Amino acid sequence: MTLENQTSAVKKKEKHDEAIVHSHYACTVGAAYSVAAIKGAVPIANCGPGCMYKQFFFLSFDNGFQGTAGVSGGNIPSANVGENDIVFGGSKKLDDLIKASIGVVKGDLFVVLTGCSGELVGDDVGSVVRKYQQNGYPVVYADTGGFKGSNLDGHELVVNAIIDQFVGSYNGPKEAGLVNLWLETPYFNQNWRGDYLEMVRILRASGFKVNVLFGPESGGVSEWKNIPKADFNLLISAWNGLKIVKHLEKKYKQRYLHVPILPIGEEATTAFIRQVVEFAGIDKTKSEKFIREESKIYYYFLEHFSNFFSEYWYGLPAKFATVTNSTDNLALTKFLSDQIGLIPVKQIITDNPPDDVRDKLRTIYSNLGEDISLDVEFHEDGYKVEDSLKKTDFGNGVPLILASSWESDVARELKALLIEVGTPSTETLIINRSFIGYRGALSLIERIYSQAVGGK
Amino acid sequence: MAQTRQIAIYGKGGIGKSTTTQNLTAGLVERGNKVMVVGCDPKADSTRLLLGGLAQKTVLDTLRDIGEDIELTDILKEGYKGTRCVESGGPEPGVGCAGRGIITAINQLERLGAYTDDLDYVFYDVLGDVVCGGFAMPIREGKAKEIYIVASGEMMALYAANNISKGIARYAKKGGVRLGGIICNSRKVDREFDLVNAFATELGTQLIHFVPRDNEVQRAEIRRKTVIEHDPQAAQADVYRELAKKIEENENFVIPKPLTQDRLEEILLEFGLMDL
Repeated sequence: MTLENQTSAVKKKEKHDEAIVHSHYACTVGAAYSVAAIKGAVPIANCGPGCMYKQFFFLSFDNGFQGTAGVSGGNIPSANVGENDIVFGGSKKLDDLIKASIGVVKGDLFVVLTGCSGELVGDDVGSVVRKYQQNGYPVVYADTGGFKGSNLDGHELVVNAIIDQFVGSYNGPKEAGLVNLWLETPYFNQNWRGDYLEMVRILRASGFKVNVLFGPESGGVSEWKNIPKADFNLLISAWNGLKIVKHLEKKYKQRYLHVPILPIGEEATTAFIRQVVEFAGIDKTKSEKFIREESKIYYYFLEHFSNFFSEYWYGLPAKFATVTNSTDNLALTKFLSDQIGLIPVKQIITDNPPDDVRDKLRTIYSNLGEDISLDVEFHEDGYKVEDSLKKTDFGNGVPLILASSWESDVARELKALLIEVGTPSTETLIINRSFIGYRGALSLIERIYSQAVGGK
Repeated sequence: MAQTRQIAIYGKGGIGKSTTTQNLTAGLVERGNKVMVVGCDPKADSTRLLLGGLAQKTVLDTLRDIGEDIELTDILKEGYKGTRCVESGGPEPGVGCAGRGIITAINQLERLGAYTDDLDYVFYDVLGDVVCGGFAMPIREGKAKEIYIVASGEMMALYAANNISKGIARYAKKGGVRLGGIICNSRKVDREFDLVNAFATELGTQLIHFVPRDNEVQRAEIRRKTVIEHDPQAAQADVYRELAKKIEENENFVIPKPLTQDRLEEILLEFGLMDL
C-alpha cells in the first residue's frame, strides 16, 4: 500500500449535501441519453412514466434544446411502470415492450434501462433480456435505479453494460495508432457534439485513427465493436468515465490515458496533443505540422481580438465564477484565468464527484497554472450555490458567472453577466457549439464578450 | 356504539397465526361480536377455516384481473356466522413486491368502504416477520392499535417475537399502536409456559393465553373448520373461548421493551432450553 492510499484509507468520509434544491444533474436512468447519443441505438425505459420525461427535459430540452433524432426525444419506448407492475413484478410487460420495440423501431442496439421501481422490487430483467441475446438480438440491459446516483454514474453503468453484453470478448491483436475516444458525457455536457467534432479533428490531424463512439462523426455500433482493437483509451474528462477505461483495461488489457482538463486554447491544446502523441508513441511529424498550422490561425484571430480587448475598456468583467460540473468547471477556469487573464473568485463543482476524486480535483485547482492556486467548493444544493455566490467579492467590475439557469436569479441580483454552460440552460440554443481545442476557444471568447458588450 | 377494535396478529412463519386468529374469531363471534378478518399473506390461507375452504378471490388477483373498477362484494365474502373475510393476496413467489401488495390491498379496502361502523373487531393476520414497510401497513396510524404476537417456547419463535417487538416499539413512538400480549401456541417444549411467561414479562407485556397442543385443531382444519364450529363441545373449543374472553377484556397495552440478543439467550438458558 502506498503512502497516498494509506492516507485516504484513514480519511473521514466527506460530508455531502442531503436534501437539495435545484439539482445540477439528472438521475441514473438519465443514461438513456448516453444510449441516444450512439447512432442506431435505442434506449428502452423500464421505469415510471414521469422518470423518462424528466430526464428528457433536464438533459436534452432544457439543456440548450439539443434535440434528438429517431427514438430518443420524448418518444423513448417505455414500460410505463405502474402499481400492478410493482406488486406483481414487471417482467412480462417488459418482455412485451422489448418484443414490440424490436418489431417497430429500426435499431442496431437496444438498451433496457431499469429505474427505481423495478430495481427495488427486484425484477429479474437479466433473465428477460438474456432470452433475446441468446436468440441473436442486440439487446443489452443496465440496472440504473435512480437511487444509485446521478446520470454520470448511469453513464458509466450503461457503457460498461454495452461493452460486456454487446461488444463482448476479444483476444485478437491491437491496432497501433487506433484510439477509443471518451470525451464528455453526452447531452449532460451540453457542447458534447461540437466538442466531439473538434476533438476528432484534432486527433485525426495529429495522426490518429479514432473510434468515435458518440456524436455526429460516429459510425454507430460498428465502432463500438472495434473498441477492443484500439491501442488505448483516451479519457478526456475530470472523472466521469474512469470506471469505463478501468473496466476496459481489465477486460481487454487495454491501456488508458486520462486527461482531466479539457484543452481550451492554443497552449493547452498543443500541450494536450504532445501528451497524447508521446503516450501513444506515434510519429510526431504530422502532429507538429498540425500544431504549427493551427497555432498560426489561432493567433491570427487572437491578435484581432486583442485589439478589441485593449481598446474597449468600459464594463468588461474582470472577476469570474464558475458553477458547473467538474469537467467544464476545470477547463473553463483554467482557460479564462491562464489565457485571458480573468480573475477566478469562486469555483463551485456541482456534479457530486466521488470523495477520492474531490481530493485530486483540489490538488489540480491548487496548481492550476503559473501563479494560479485556487480553492474549489463542492455543492449539490442550489441554495448553497446561491449563498456562496452572494458572499463572493467580485470587486467593482461586472461579475461574470458561468453557470446554469438555476443561477439566473442570483446573477440578476448581483448584476452579473450570466453565461449558461451547464444544465439546465433554458436561454441557450445549442446545435453545433464547442468551446474546446483551437477553434472552440475562439467561440468561447466570442460568447463571453458578446454578452459583455451587450451588457447583459 | 363502541369503536371498532383493529388488531394485528404477528409471529414467526408457521407458528399458527392463521389458525389462532380464526379460532379466536369464532370465539368472539359466539360472544355476539361482528368480526372482519383481513389476511395479509400472499398465500391467502388466513380465512380458509371461516369460509370452509379457499373460496376467496384475493384483492390483488381481482385488481389484476378486473382493474380498479371493483365492488366490495368482489373481494369480501361472508363466512362463519357472518364473519367478513378478505385476503389481500400477493404476487407469485419470487417476483414483484408482496409488501407493496399489502399496502395496495388495504388502500382498496378503505376506498371500497369495508370498514363499516358495525364491526366490533378487525383482525389483520400478517405473515412472518415485519420484513419491510409493507408488512407494517396494518399497524400504521389509523389502523390496528393492538397487536398480539403468537409464539411458542422454541428459540426461533421467541427470537422472531422479539424482533417483531422492535418493529412495534418503533411504530409505538410515532402513533398509538401497543402490544396487547403474547399468545403461546404450544409446541410442547419443556417448561414452555414458564419460559414464554418470563419472556413476556421481560418484554413488559403479558402471556395473555396458553393454547395447549391438541389434535382436535388438526381434525377441524382438515374439515376446513374452526374447532368451535367443528366440535363445540371439545375441550379445545373452550380454550379458544377463553382466549376470546381474555382479548375482549384485555386492558394491558404496552410499548414493548425488546431484549438484547444476549439477554434473550440468557432466558433460554435459565429455562434449560439450551440443554435440549
